Amino acid sequence: MKIAMINGSPKLGQSNSGIMLKIFGTFINAEHEMTSYNINKKPLNEKHYIELCHTDVLIFAFPLYIDAIPSHLFRMMIKLEEYLKKEAKDNIYVYAIINNGFYEGHQNKIALQIMENWCDRAGINFGMAIGQGAGEMMEFVKNVPISHGPLKNLGKAMESLADNIHKKSSGESILFNPNFPKFAWKFTGTHAVWQANAKKNGLKRKDILKKIISH
Amino acid sequence: MKIILHDLNQQEFSGLYPNNDTDTVIISDNGTIHNCIGCFGCWIKTPGVCVLKDGYSNMGELLSKCNELVIISRCIYGSYSPFIRNVLDRCIPYILPYFVSINGETHHKNRYENTIVLSVYFYGEDITKREQETAKALVKANGINFYFSESKAYFHKDLQTIKEVVK
Repeated sequence: MKIAMINGSPKLGQSNSGIMLKIFGTFINAEHEMTSYNINKKPLNEKHYIELCHTDVLIFAFPLYIDAIPSHLFRMMIKLEEYLKKEAKDNIYVYAIINNGFYEGHQNKIALQIMENWCDRAGINFGMAIGQGAGEMMEFVKNVPISHGPLKNLGKAMESLADNIHKKSSGESILFNPNFPKFAWKFTGTHAVWQANAKKNGLKRKDILKKIISH
Repeated sequence: MKIILHDLNQQEFSGLYPNNDTDTVIISDNGTIHNCIGCFGCWIKTPGVCVLKDGYSNMGELLSKCNELVIISRCIYGSYSPFIRNVLDRCIPYILPYFVSINGETHHKNRYENTIVLSVYFYGEDITKREQETAKALVKANGINFYFSESKAYFHKDLQTIKEVVK
């Protein structure tokens, strides 16, 4: 079976979607042919779109942007819909791995619905999605063995996703929080992410809070 | 100040709004917009301003002066069209990186205190019921994340019927 893994993060360097795809790759049986696609630096070309039309399974991994799908990935999906309508092979299944910067995985629900609506328009099958909250945490826990500690729920969700992919079937989507206390996540985000990174740029908390007032 | 954000060509837009109001800012696609690259520079490097220099870096400040936001967008899969999505992705300088809980959900803190009423006019000949439900949920969620005082979504088959309600 041909499986395409599409990293829909717009980040130029390492991304949480990339980390999640790398982890998920270990759940896929070795006999399947996996190809990775990145759209962060330049858009796909015609050859790529045609390849995707002749793939059995499309796996999209992306971050939630303003409750929806990042605009560069959204443009790609619209173009892919045109190709799929013309030359998709039969019975393509789509799966999604969504992460959002808030704590609650259920906030990925609207992006999941947009993916389902896209599949309806493109005439392909929606398999299922998994959606995790606290996506920015992935960088800090990427070396934790999957299915353990803060990645326990992610591991369970990925097992279910892989099971459906291997059977080319649809399953119930799973939106979940990380196995990490909310207060600890919030504290880490505030101090180890936002303030620590602002400090590297010579900024203090009051600078982060700045209001832009020009006339 | 009122902002009209739209994905129409010049002729279509002029058909809807033949007269320019001096207190209205029009945001349209001039072909130069870059996509957000998730660098968070607008929070931790140049707070309140996007680091991408393409003419759309001041969305945070513009929204801070706004009390009415009108979006006119083709409805695609229950979402805004790519240009509108692109502009909204570039609006995060309007809010802060810090988190708060609203009705038990995490959201970002607001940077400004102004209140904005959002009206979204979606158009499309064959928007499905399911796409409408998705789009309504999306507009509502955006309203929570951007602290809009009201967020309403309307659906139209063509631009003519939008003209009748926005004039």
